[in-house]
Amino acid sequence: MPDKKQLPKFAVLQLSGCAGCEVSLINANEWVDQYQLVYMPLVVSTASVPEDTEILLVSGGVRNDEDIYNLKKAVEKVDRVIAVGTCAISGGVSNLGDRDDVRQMFLAQSSRHHLPHLLPKSHPIDAFVDVDLYLPGCPPTPELFMAALIDPEGYEASGIVCVECGRKKLKDMRPQHLVGFQQGEVLPDICLINQGYLCVGSSTRGGCRAICTKPGHPCVGCRGPSDAYIEKESSVWFDRIQNVFERMTDIPPEEIKAALHSPQLSLFLFQFTDYSEGGRPPRPKDKVL
Amino acid sequence: MTILRFPLSRIEGHARVEMEIQDGAVVSAQFQAIEMRGFRYFVQGTPAEQMPVIVPRICGVCSTAHHVASVKALENALDVKPPRLANEIRELLLLGQLIQNQATSLFIFTMPDRVGASSIFHMEDSEANPEQQLSLAQRALKVRQIGTKLITLAGGQFIHPVKAIIGGVTSGIKAEAAAQMLKEMQDTITIACELFDEYWDMSMAMRERIGTWGDDQPAYYIASTGRSKPEFNSDTIRVLGPNGNERASFPPRLFREFLDYEKTDYSFAGKSTYEGEVLRANSLARINLTKTMGTPCADYYLERLTAEFGKPAHPILLFDLCRGIELVYAFERAIEMLSKDLDYEDTSVPYSLKDGEGYGMVEAPRGPLIHHYIIENGLIAEAEFIIPTVHNMGAIERALKVAGERYITPQGINLELEKAVGRVVRAFDPCIACATQ
Ligand code: SF4
Ligand code: SF4
Ligand code: SF4
Repeated sequence: MPDKKQLPKFAVLQLSGCAGCEVSLINANEWVDQYQLVYMPLVVSTASVPEDTEILLVSGGVRNDEDIYNLKKAVEKVDRVIAVGTCAISGGVSNLGDRDDVRQMFLAQSSRHHLPHLLPKSHPIDAFVDVDLYLPGCPPTPELFMAALIDPEGYEASGIVCVECGRKKLKDMRPQHLVGFQQGEVLPDICLINQGYLCVGSSTRGGCRAICTKPGHPCVGCRGPSDAYIEKESSVWFDRIQNVFERMTDIPPEEIKAALHSPQLSLFLFQFTDYSEGGRPPRPKDKVL
Repeated sequence: MTILRFPLSRIEGHARVEMEIQDGAVVSAQFQAIEMRGFRYFVQGTPAEQMPVIVPRICGVCSTAHHVASVKALENALDVKPPRLANEIRELLLLGQLIQNQATSLFIFTMPDRVGASSIFHMEDSEANPEQQLSLAQRALKVRQIGTKLITLAGGQFIHPVKAIIGGVTSGIKAEAAAQMLKEMQDTITIACELFDEYWDMSMAMRERIGTWGDDQPAYYIASTGRSKPEFNSDTIRVLGPNGNERASFPPRLFREFLDYEKTDYSFAGKSTYEGEVLRANSLARINLTKTMGTPCADYYLERLTAEFGKPAHPILLFDLCRGIELVYAFERAIEMLSKDLDYEDTSVPYSLKDGEGYGMVEAPRGPLIHHYIIENGLIAEAEFIIPTVHNMGAIERALKVAGERYITPQGINLELEKAVGRVVRAFDPCIACATQ
């Protein structure tokens, strides 16, 4: 075993998230012999990110003023910042709260004595600091974590989830409606769109190995847009998904459209939370794993 | 007045402890949950059927419990009854969660306290003997990975499961996959027991060193486990009195009649009480409320515990040992289940949406977790999450005070206090992301 103290150092800063990203990281154990974990409050008791830390992984969104402070302070000391998980990249699931009525409820709670000041919405970290690499996923798989730490360029993944999914798209099985789970059965091996599920695997970036669709749950897009869409506006994806459904099904276009724009876009909690109201510059695709 | 503030690590989420001291006496000890994401607000208006995918994201540590509780709440509102096989697969899912969680709490969160290390990845500076420390991290990760693998097998996605749906689960478990998992579990259970034995010894040594098992005053206990053996998917909550008599038994929809809830201005999480008394949930509560584990190795450890500490047992550091017993139980029970056919019938039934109100409960690693939804026009009109960590808040603060009183005197503050604060909080394995959502 190499002398641990010689190994490159990495740190993990957890902002407002669910710790799922961290749990995924500790499901990978290859890093144990290749890196020194110097800061990660979930598993290590150290007070702050030490100087000479090479890589900082940041998970979670920026939800309160302590998050901003901790983020800026940690970033100062490191060479490379990796935004991990959809919360850090787009605000993630809690960005569903980016609506007027919800903002109001947060404002009502925001200034409690003793407690960090809540921001009206959850922000991605690149609203405050520069990011060198984005690792989307909710959470990214351990395999993706290892790739981000060790060899981001060498990671082999398909462009979209469909390719990794392997379910067959059939020509002659055209659902009339988006029936979803109400029908009480998911057929194996056949594309979920053929079965009337709203699956967005066709525009979602690959790399997760289609862990949801293989056992029979539609992809909800947690890895975010594929390279073909990542630098474009969200309307382009909407159109693309709409096209896929119109081509493969007899579902009335309005029904598809309504589902795609379902209340608070909750089906697409990941792909669109950040982009639904526009205003954010796209992330360059060569920085996204 | 002196105010001591302790940041916390090796727990899930963002929290800290504040202790007020006046003339060498502890005036108050507060456990402050300092993050909030607002799930109960932003899920309003969400299509009800999406809840099982959204709510696991409340917490990446307890995701599976939220996933299943959510599905049960929806089924309760829609009057849907899943097939037996679906319930079996959900139980496996919860067992996977239990393995992952208890292994994390034991080996990653609390083992470092027992040997004076900052983390299991930094054991080289610890008091553990070199042979042990070399392999501790790798062995511990291996055991918790079994939990993750079981979650993946039974739940699809590995952190935020997707397979439980209204009416059942999306797919069964094929014989080949079950056999593979079974083999891995059989190979790993010995490592789990071995680590737990080491953990037990380290705990005894720590007890010698610090001279206490922590707050050992009687308390009330709450869990939804079975009377004769553990259950994680039941629909009854029970409360045990300090002397071991059962005081109440009720379904989740009646929780308000039995539990009082209060908000505090210093924490985003409130706290609940039973008849104004300190309440405890989590492993020790379950062990106190159940007769046996019903599996041989776990029962062996349980007998050892009972012989030494009696039943109900109250010292808080026993929460940690109880987690070990449950870890072994979860292995044995999952092995039992995987040895049987898990692909024998359809895994789900059809349903249709309607307006309604539903409660769903599971016994999460931290205690009974309840989801309560009101559905209108297929959308969530209101959602409420009743979180087990909140039941423990009063108990955590009482135990912190006990620790404070031990280490603070008019002559000064013993530096051991900081470590004691960490040990106390970790004994309860609180989950802040859940407690505040
Ligand atoms: S991206 Fe997903 S897994 Fe990661 S912190 Fe956010 S909700 Fe949790
Ligand atoms: S649309 Fe979904 S189910 Fe169909 S192939 Fe793509 S990922 Fe698989
Ligand atoms: S299948 Fe879709 S939702 Fe599931 S992990 Fe992959 S990208 Fe995320």
